[in-house]
Amino acid sequence: MKRDYIISWKAAGIALGLLLTLATALVKPLGVSTQFVVSDAAVVHKLAPEYAESNTYLSKYGEKQDWGIGYGWVLVMGMFVGGGITSAIFRKRQPEQDKGSMPPMWQARFGDSMMKRYAAAFGGGVLLLFGARLAGGCTSGHMIAGVPQLAISSFIFAVTTFGAAILMAKFLYRSSPEA
Amino acid sequence: MGTLIIGFFIGCAFGAILYLGGVTSYRRILGTLRLKDMWIIKLMGTAIGVGTLGVYLLDLGGLANMSIKPAYVWGVALGGIIFGIGWAISGFCPGTCVVGASEGKKDAISTLLGGLVGALLFSMVYPYIEKGLIQNANFGSITLESVLGVSGIYLAMGLSAGLLGLIFFVLKDRYE
Repeated sequence: MKRDYIISWKAAGIALGLLLTLATALVKPLGVSTQFVVSDAAVVHKLAPEYAESNTYLSKYGEKQDWGIGYGWVLVMGMFVGGGITSAIFRKRQPEQDKGSMPPMWQARFGDSMMKRYAAAFGGGVLLLFGARLAGGCTSGHMIAGVPQLAISSFIFAVTTFGAAILMAKFLYRSSPEA
Repeated sequence: MGTLIIGFFIGCAFGAILYLGGVTSYRRILGTLRLKDMWIIKLMGTAIGVGTLGVYLLDLGGLANMSIKPAYVWGVALGGIIFGIGWAISGFCPGTCVVGASEGKKDAISTLLGGLVGALLFSMVYPYIEKGLIQNANFGSITLESVLGVSGIYLAMGLSAGLLGLIFFVLKDRYE
């Protein structure tokens, strides 16, 4: 059988743990979701500066002079560049079912409509970032970085996130044969 | 400036690991959430096991730049639930949608755009929910160390050993 992965979960997990340690030593732990607000704030500060200043949340991010584009923001840019370069190099070794914009598992359950897939991905994205900002972090900041710091908030996040995600996944695929 | 360059390269490595480890794969994420394939649990658990030990070893030497998120119970729990639902629907999280977008996955780009809208929506409702969900029941930046009054390195060794033991010896090749 053809290998259905590029590198094993062991290799990726160990590398990620070491990377987190390195980041914590050099600057600060990993995190992503804040940068969505930083990006929004930069745009809102341009388009509607008065609203941006008056909004208690946006005014914390993206000042007129300093857009808050710092370590965290270049880190996310780096993810795009690093992911892009690696995927270009390793494309041939990526399992077929992981390529493209229509996951076969989704297709088998919800049909061929690309629009449906994109709409769900978009709606899911709205919920993701709304939830992450409410909770103060996402899978990176709360789970990969937060749990290793033994933060109580991150344990709460990990439990509620996995709980809700597993129930939702079971619900979405309730009619699948091997549900 | 140095910090920015370091951040960029850490990000590059982060993106590369997520891609190579298959974390941008819908099959892996939903496989894990449907409890069919424990790939993501094993990967994250390994990262957390190694990271916990790494961070608290740094802390022993006074070298860890910690960033503990405050525990405002209701906001974190509700946020976690909303996040979890979005995760199961899209199959991406905020980090993997960035990496998925870099691979050219259009569903990842949709999630990324949805995320920008979600973050904006949150900033619009923030003034109305700040008091009830964020200031209320906020215990500040507490950790297992500060709550239990046990030195972090012992807790870290325990958690790491427990997690890595569970993953490498119990879950190991099941579900693969």
